[in-house]
Amino acid sequence: MKFRTILTIIGVVIGTSSIIVMVSIGNGAQKSITDELSGIGSVTTLQVYQDLSSMGMTSMGSGKTEDKPILNDDAIKDMKKIDGVVAVTPVVNLSGGEIEVDREQYGVSLMGVDYGVLEDMRYETTSGKKPGANDENSVILGKDILTSLTYTGASTQLTESEVKPEDLIGQNISMTIKRTNANGEEEIKTQKLKVTGVLESTGGNEDYSVIANYNLVTELNEWQTGKKANVKKQGYTQALVTVEDSTVVNAVTTEVEAMEFTVFSMQQILDSMGSVFQMLQILLGGIGGVALLVACIGIVNTMTMSIYERTKEIGIMKVIGASISDIRNMFIAESTMIGLIGGLVGIVISLVLSVLINLIAGFFIGGEGGVTISFITPGLVIFALVFSALVGLLSGVRPAIKAANLSSLDAIRSE
Amino acid sequence: MVETREQKERGSIKIFIQVRDLHKDFKLGKEDINILKGINLDIEQGEMVALLGPSGSGKSTFLNVLGGLVPPTSGDIMIRDYHISEMLENELCLFRREHLGFIFQSYNLISTMTAMENVALALTFAGVKKEIRKKRAIEALEVVGLVDRMGHKPSELSGGQQQRVSIARALVNHPEIILADEPTGNLDSKTSADIMEMIYRLNREENQTFVIVTHDPDTTKYCTKVIHMQDGLIESEVNQ
Ligand SMILES: Nc1ncnc2c1ncn2[C@@H]1O[C@H](COP(=O)(O)OP(=O)(O)OP(=O)(O)O)[C@@H](O)[C@H]1O
Ligand SMILES: [Mg+2]
Repeated sequence: MKFRTILTIIGVVIGTSSIIVMVSIGNGAQKSITDELSGIGSVTTLQVYQDLSSMGMTSMGSGKTEDKPILNDDAIKDMKKIDGVVAVTPVVNLSGGEIEVDREQYGVSLMGVDYGVLEDMRYETTSGKKPGANDENSVILGKDILTSLTYTGASTQLTESEVKPEDLIGQNISMTIKRTNANGEEEIKTQKLKVTGVLESTGGNEDYSVIANYNLVTELNEWQTGKKANVKKQGYTQALVTVEDSTVVNAVTTEVEAMEFTVFSMQQILDSMGSVFQMLQILLGGIGGVALLVACIGIVNTMTMSIYERTKEIGIMKVIGASISDIRNMFIAESTMIGLIGGLVGIVISLVLSVLINLIAGFFIGGEGGVTISFITPGLVIFALVFSALVGLLSGVRPAIKAANLSSLDAIRSE
Repeated sequence: MVETREQKERGSIKIFIQVRDLHKDFKLGKEDINILKGINLDIEQGEMVALLGPSGSGKSTFLNVLGGLVPPTSGDIMIRDYHISEMLENELCLFRREHLGFIFQSYNLISTMTAMENVALALTFAGVKKEIRKKRAIEALEVVGLVDRMGHKPSELSGGQQQRVSIARALVNHPEIILADEPTGNLDSKTSADIMEMIYRLNREENQTFVIVTHDPDTTKYCTKVIHMQDGLIESEVNQ
């Protein structure tokens, strides 16, 4: 192979690998952020809140709340009827609980959900099992529940207890809550909780909470505040809607929003980020594209040189019977090969680069399980290969036509 | 051979190549210079024609027009039943591939290819399969006595050997006509005689028609027809 051809191929290699690496970095950024966000609460879980403005209106005491819907059991029933919805549960929270494990005190908050639909929700246990529908006092522990933040002077330290939440499975733990009664005296209530499992990390509040039965949490809340909960009138502050799969998230979101509730889902964030990443990829791909354009000019130049050099050869071929298309195809095949070989080598190089980038980034950023800065999809590989071959082919067309149209006699006479 | 032109045209003897009032002008600046000024010629199948004449008389130009490498300005060329003078470039390519072989003074071999590859190249464009190409190329090299050199590049061969490779290349398609422009022009008299003997043998054995441009009166002894050109016209035509 001619040195000149090798240089041209190197041009294509640089062009192709810069496109791949650039786009792979866009891909990687998207992937790592998407993975991160998908971790925070399942993508298939929607958080529904009472419309914030309606809450404002009730607190203003106008007394007229009928025109704004209330997030009560009727609303939950209605949401259950929406296509694609698997489970709906109200959420009640209780904070300020304390448990004692291994003579250490840990503050906990309870998250009460409807145990009747717990089986259908995307809460998975890493060990143990979920409580049944009627297990009033059974709970699942968040995985970080025994991790406490201790403040020592200026620095914050994360201390993990010797005891793992898993060790508590099957045991009864007692939780205490306090209240101040009408006489200003402090009262303490102790509640036994039976641990049945540990929750898989969701990346959200659940990790630091105890998932408990809705009825139990309501009961404890009523004891703490001394007031009966009036769900019918005031509604729940929050409900969780679990949907079949990510494809129906947007449709369900629209329907719940039509009921005038505020919906928050990971999908909304992912969607808006998707377009940002698309822009990023186009931008990065464009930078690579410029490199490939330069390579393209290189191919045209090489082919033109090659035709000058081989004019006599072309003339000979025409004299001994090569047709116009024979000559044209010969040169187009050659330039396509330059593109294809450049593309293949470029793919290999970018795969190596991608691994290196991730290794180096992992070294600096740290974090277990490696870091994804650059992510090459099979689609990107195929695109790069087809694109580089196409660039080679198109760059070859003009020189090839020029070669094919040379006069055979003039060509044969040239030296 | 004393048939008149009229008798030939009536078909008692088959006219293979027929040239009528052939003109070729070249533009030189604004001026047209007439190189071929009305050539008439008939050649029968299997003839061996020598084309002589002073330098610049238009011999090469005539041969190139005959082979369809240069279009004529006016006039008619018929080879077999093909109207060469009216064919498009692509049709001419196909025609050359099937019916014509060329031999040049300067061999015109492709320097990066071996003798065998040079010979086989002519078959590539005819769409012959690779194994068959090789077999036929070796056969053609056998005819010119160069099988033992088939792996050599042109630069590794003598002038005579290179010319024999180019003859093998012209033969490999088994064309009916071979046009040769001073095939022995670069060779010494001994080698020239060898080459001419070989051409003569092919002419006899395969009944191929040869038109050979030459400066060497010695080569005319192999020919059935000797044509003298002068200033773009045929000055004399002798059948022997
Ligand atoms: N492409 C061309 N453009 C202009 N003039 C040409 C061209 N080709 C040939 N000629 C002119 O035509 C004339 C005849 O050239 P040609 O090559 O046919 O001569 P020849 O008889 O073969 O001579 P020689 O014996 O030296 O090879 C010459 O005067 C030459 O300058
Ligand atoms: Mg000449």
